[in-house]
Amino acid sequence: MTSWSPERLLPDYIKNFEAYVPSKPDPELMKLYGCPHLHRLNNNENALGPPPESQEALRCFPQKKAAIYPSGDAYYLRCKLGERFGMSPDQFLVGNGANEVISFVIKAFCEQGDNIITADKTFAVYEWVAQFSGFEARLVPLKDFGFDDQAMLAQTDARTKILFVCNPNNPTGTYWDSERLLNFLDAIDGRWVVVIDEAYAEFVEQEDFPNCMALIPRYPNLVIFRTFSKMFGLAGLRIGYLAGSAEVVDLIRRTCIVYSVNTMAQVAALAAVNADDHIVRTRKMVRDGKAFLKTELNRIGLPFLMGEGNYVMIKLPMSDTLAYRKLMTRGVMVRTMTGFRFPNYIRVTVSAMEAMEAFVAAMKEIL
Amino acid sequence: MQSAPKPETALDLYGDAVFLPVVTSCVEKSARAFGMDDTGSLSLTLAAEEIFSYLCRFVVPHRPVRIVCRTGGYYVDVEFLFPARDFDMRAFNITACLSTDDETCLEETGLLIASRMVDRFKFSEHDNFLRLLLTKERDYPDPFSDAPPLPSALEEFVVRVPDAEEIKAVVGLIMAGEESYGIPHGLRSPGRLVDMVASGDYQVAVAADRASHIGGAIAWHREGTGMVECYGPYVFNQRSETEMARTLMDHCLGAIARQDVRGLINRHPTPHLPREYFEELGSAFQCGTDCVPVELAAYYRQLEEDPGSTVWSHPDLKDFLEDQYRRLILPREIKDSQYAGEESSPFSVLSAEFYRTRQRVTLRPVWWGTDSEKTVGEHVKTLTKEGISFIFFEMDLGRAWHCHFTPSLLNNGFEPRFVLPYAGRGDLVVFQCMRGASFS
Repeated sequence: MTSWSPERLLPDYIKNFEAYVPSKPDPELMKLYGCPHLHRLNNNENALGPPPESQEALRCFPQKKAAIYPSGDAYYLRCKLGERFGMSPDQFLVGNGANEVISFVIKAFCEQGDNIITADKTFAVYEWVAQFSGFEARLVPLKDFGFDDQAMLAQTDARTKILFVCNPNNPTGTYWDSERLLNFLDAIDGRWVVVIDEAYAEFVEQEDFPNCMALIPRYPNLVIFRTFSKMFGLAGLRIGYLAGSAEVVDLIRRTCIVYSVNTMAQVAALAAVNADDHIVRTRKMVRDGKAFLKTELNRIGLPFLMGEGNYVMIKLPMSDTLAYRKLMTRGVMVRTMTGFRFPNYIRVTVSAMEAMEAFVAAMKEIL
Repeated sequence: MQSAPKPETALDLYGDAVFLPVVTSCVEKSARAFGMDDTGSLSLTLAAEEIFSYLCRFVVPHRPVRIVCRTGGYYVDVEFLFPARDFDMRAFNITACLSTDDETCLEETGLLIASRMVDRFKFSEHDNFLRLLLTKERDYPDPFSDAPPLPSALEEFVVRVPDAEEIKAVVGLIMAGEESYGIPHGLRSPGRLVDMVASGDYQVAVAADRASHIGGAIAWHREGTGMVECYGPYVFNQRSETEMARTLMDHCLGAIARQDVRGLINRHPTPHLPREYFEELGSAFQCGTDCVPVELAAYYRQLEEDPGSTVWSHPDLKDFLEDQYRRLILPREIKDSQYAGEESSPFSVLSAEFYRTRQRVTLRPVWWGTDSEKTVGEHVKTLTKEGISFIFFEMDLGRAWHCHFTPSLLNNGFEPRFVLPYAGRGDLVVFQCMRGASFS
């Protein structure tokens, strides 16, 4: 008896894998939750939007260029990044968001039976990409809400290929300082690839935060992820990149999907690379927002974790998914943390003051 | 939470009585090979014989049938699969009366007879085929009669996966410390729980100190599509009981957080269940001590942000749904659906999932027809005669035609008890038959 049963064709490691279901578009959510406005505090987007330089580049973008294929490897952007960081353009790979470059690295180095190592409570995509590619993701518990270097080292074995460190960590905001990172890289001693995901690095103002780009000549096994989605406000265009030694980048390039980054994204990112004023303005907005939240959350009596990055994690006396629904009805969208293995926590993007005030007012109502 | 591959044997044949000895032989030998004892193997074989004969006569004569015997360690399944076409679906009503001459047929249909011989019996419809599932559990000895000594308060603890001996100890502690009716079937026998965990169907975590003294435990398993049911947390004589219960709960949530699970339900709440983690959906009457009805609350939490959805509802159910969705703050657009005299099948079909040891049956719609009120009524009558006290009906609000059953259910003594978000194609409404029952 033959019946179409596509699940039988799936590899075992896919069968129980959860597909990520993105949120519905804002107008649909607003209709269902009955809220006339919505403050998006769920994705750590920059309320200031893209830098003025990028906005101008997008405004001037010739519509006819939509008919022309983009640069397949973001040539001009890589050149600009090379200038910015004093490196060769060949030391960069640009992807359709940083998520895509995660896949490049895992595909380049892992084969069946290999493992990657990361934390249990961090950005989920390292774990997801490894698992749906059929590789083991070894998850090391956070220690004091931060990556545990010694425990990660203890998990390595002959089949380890990559160690992923999110610095600063999303969602806890903890970070490794220069000394700790150097000790870790020395202990690794070039045996495995070390990925430092710096999606939120531009938000960090601490003196002891490592300058990873400068470490590349000394540690050729080091790969750095950066994104234009957070600080540079280009999340809607999907563009991110990795950097490393020419040798390691050349290997990763073999699995890189070319032409995946559209022209508008490349043009806007090119204009953003040196937008230092935008960084200054955004940091001020985040500082002000954190100061406000700190006062208000203490007043309400909610425990919170306020580290680096443009987000704050808050512990609630209720289910985070229930809080999400209650806040949505009041026009505030936050990120629930059960999926990050922090049940009953929410993560809130530190944004413009109007949104922060709306969030606090809504929190007071739902508690 | 991935179950290990389960050993199986399979037969592909036709619905012809000439194959009956092949079927019975295969089922019996498979059951024995899978570790089932003589009594269990015989029961399963007789049930399979009854089903296959029934299929040959009334359902799929000379049509392809696949029969799969499968073991999960603590049970043996026999699954009948056949294409869903060109036959009278009424044959799958547990009340189906296919011989009008036979006055006893209401009590003696093949399906009903087969259901009596096994622990669980389930009929379900899939896209292109129908599935009958018979499940017989292995017998396990009762828990040790001597209650284990309560552990002393632990100075410190970590939550981790227990070994087999620790699982047995957990069952002993639960049986000694909890009200009997509050203990789910899966946690009543040490050997069974060890085998359930070994099969990958259940997960258990314990809170233990470095010397392996156990202070608490939690268990969970997948329930249907996208749902996990948890039991506990159980905390045994600990000073830091609240902290331990929360740590166990966090562990369970962490284990399922990145799997294809949308909700976590707890229908056997313990005193240590951290209520703030959950929302109370409602309650239902279940089989308590000596099967005296006991009302148990159903606690639930979503694991994901609710994106909102559209559900169907009969007008008679709309007030209930609006109340529930308002109380639970679930964003739903309710659309009306009801029978308006359009040409329809004259016959309804319900599937029945038996859980005889708990005197429980769950009915689910397979097909709606204009005789739905009679069909529902006959099911209630037959099941009540069978000694089934707890009759549930699950309506999937993601399927408009399910809503057509609403008046028939209400007129036959069913009441909507609670809504289970996203437990089907849409939300599920769980009805319970309250007619004639001494529920209070």
